Amino acid sequence: MTELLVFHALAGLITLCSIMVVASRNPVTSAVFLVVDLFCVAGLYAQMDAHFVAAIQVLVYAGAIVVLFMFVIMLLNLEPETMQGFRVSAPEVGILLVTIVGFIGVAVTMVLGGPSGANGGMTPEVIEQAGGNTFAVGMVLFTRYLWPFELASILILLAIVASVVIAKKDKPAAKDGAVAGKRSLTNGAR
Amino acid sequence: MNPYVPVILALVVGVTLGLILSGMATFIGPKKVYKKVKYEPYECGVPTVGSRDKMSVKFYLTAILFILFDIETVFLYLWATTFKQLGWFGVVEILVFLLILVAGYVYVVKRGALEWD
Amino acid sequence: MMGLPELNPTVVLNGVINYLSSPAGIELIATFLKFLFVFVLVLQVPPIMVWAERRAPAFMQRRKGPNRVGIDIGPLKSRLYGLFQSLADTVKLIWKQEVMPDGANKVMYHLAPVFAVFAAIMIACAIPFGNDITAFGTKIPLSVIRLDVGFLFIFAISSLGVYTVTLAGWSSNNKYSLLGALRASAQMISYEIPLGLSLLPIVLIYGTLDLNEIVIEQTYFWQWGFIKAPVSFLIFLICMFAETNRAPFDLAEGESELVAGFHTEYNSAKFAAIFLGEYVSMFVLSCLASTIFFGGWQVGFISHEQLVNLLFGSEALAAFVGFNALLLKAAFFMWFYVWVRWTLPRFRYDQLMSLGWKFMLPLGLANILVTALVVAFLKF
Repeated sequence: MTELLVFHALAGLITLCSIMVVASRNPVTSAVFLVVDLFCVAGLYAQMDAHFVAAIQVLVYAGAIVVLFMFVIMLLNLEPETMQGFRVSAPEVGILLVTIVGFIGVAVTMVLGGPSGANGGMTPEVIEQAGGNTFAVGMVLFTRYLWPFELASILILLAIVASVVIAKKDKPAAKDGAVAGKRSLTNGAR
Repeated sequence: MNPYVPVILALVVGVTLGLILSGMATFIGPKKVYKKVKYEPYECGVPTVGSRDKMSVKFYLTAILFILFDIETVFLYLWATTFKQLGWFGVVEILVFLLILVAGYVYVVKRGALEWD
Repeated sequence: MMGLPELNPTVVLNGVINYLSSPAGIELIATFLKFLFVFVLVLQVPPIMVWAERRAPAFMQRRKGPNRVGIDIGPLKSRLYGLFQSLADTVKLIWKQEVMPDGANKVMYHLAPVFAVFAAIMIACAIPFGNDITAFGTKIPLSVIRLDVGFLFIFAISSLGVYTVTLAGWSSNNKYSLLGALRASAQMISYEIPLGLSLLPIVLIYGTLDLNEIVIEQTYFWQWGFIKAPVSFLIFLICMFAETNRAPFDLAEGESELVAGFHTEYNSAKFAAIFLGEYVSMFVLSCLASTIFFGGWQVGFISHEQLVNLLFGSEALAAFVGFNALLLKAAFFMWFYVWVRWTLPRFRYDQLMSLGWKFMLPLGLANILVTALVVAFLKF
């Protein structure tokens, strides 16, 4: 009962925040709603006893990726006049919310015959036996999913190289750190 | 008891306290209306131009690199918790993982992407 | 109509009493009490630190510092070394008028302090203030929040603290604020990586993410973290200063260049909220340093069992002693913050960033590898 209540509260909040992310004209408002959104998703993970994924959801998504979004938003020079208010009004948000929640509810009921509420194989007891959630995830990652894990490092490597290549496109490789031209900290992007 | 009950308690009280402190400033303080000059952004002398100006791409790069190394740290934490059970096998795995990432790090340093001019 | 049970007051009251005297109920009551304790404790930190932050430099610079505000009620007359100055400051801050600059983004301007306060209060709850005690037949851990992920929870929540800085700086419509915010947030995220890496050897050595279990492993002072992982301690110590934007890494504020950094346009109770957040995260990092590297609530020269025996077998008394031990260690780090502020000059921004990315990051990685190899050779 409590479980269902918490789930529906979180699901409703997630849907609402997601609508607001899209509806807001101000990108910073969108970003803040996205943080709340991702935080609530972490709540869903936590409810499913996936403690590690929940913590990482907050650490990486809410705490790192949205920071990057914030920086990008600050990087853009937006006119304050274009960022007022929302693209949709409050009643429209309500209608959207009801529609989305209702649609998903109907779809789930029709396809699956309603939420079954059945537990998967990894019940809290099983995880407790395995030595805690973080430990269990680690063991699985480093034994069964060894290759995906090592491939992930190559993915990260590619991302590192790509970001540097894109960000430092026009500059020759400087060995001694003397980067061409004296640019002030603020006007570098011009 | 669910271990998240105290988390929710702390979250609710923390947000409430924040809202109270933030709202207190608006509602308790005097509401005298001053001349327009008082509401200008803090500055001595000439008014600032373009307070929401473009920023250096450096910050952007820093944020990307932060995400990538943050993910790496998360993987390392998973390894550290299972370190004793995995034994030498895990050490070799993480050595390969780190070797690949250190290659990326060396590239970043060599390209001078970490230089702040 | 649904078959609701009849709401007889006596039955309800009995049900409540029954629940509260069951182990689950005791745990619930204990959670509330522990939270209240931590909450009150945490709110004491900023006033005391503001006082210390003024008295300490006065002491170092051979002047008096604030020493006027005290008690003057009838026969009770004492200046208390100006300790009440912070109380006066708090009251004054709250009753000041809020002056929001024109062109500020109102919602974000009001929201930024909320992020500061909630993150600070949440992470303070994850610190273990003592060993588990048994009360009314129920085992009660002496930290409000104890999750499976251990101190990753602290990292996760404190990573949200960046939004205080970015939102405050961006919404203020002031160039100094924005510059301060960008500098501060880039600095905070840059030093989050070495901070994370510095605690990895601790997990390798003690084999757990749970803070209380880490403390239990550090019974005697030669088993403490700073002896087993000295490089980690060094990295952590430097990151502590960078994460909280304190001198010598206070570029974000840099009074001489950016007025006050991201909170230039903040005043009255909102400024107090940001201040609260900053000092509480300093306190939590101090507690974390004491917990991980200095044995937390362990006394250091006798084990916890010996301490309990010494204190007439009372776990509660031992917990009290342990709590004071932790507080003493944390107080040292808080003093260290102030001490360093008035000792070292400020870094330049490029120096700060290259210290983080070019020195601390490789050092952290090398530290992990060396620790892993040493532990592996000793244990496997």
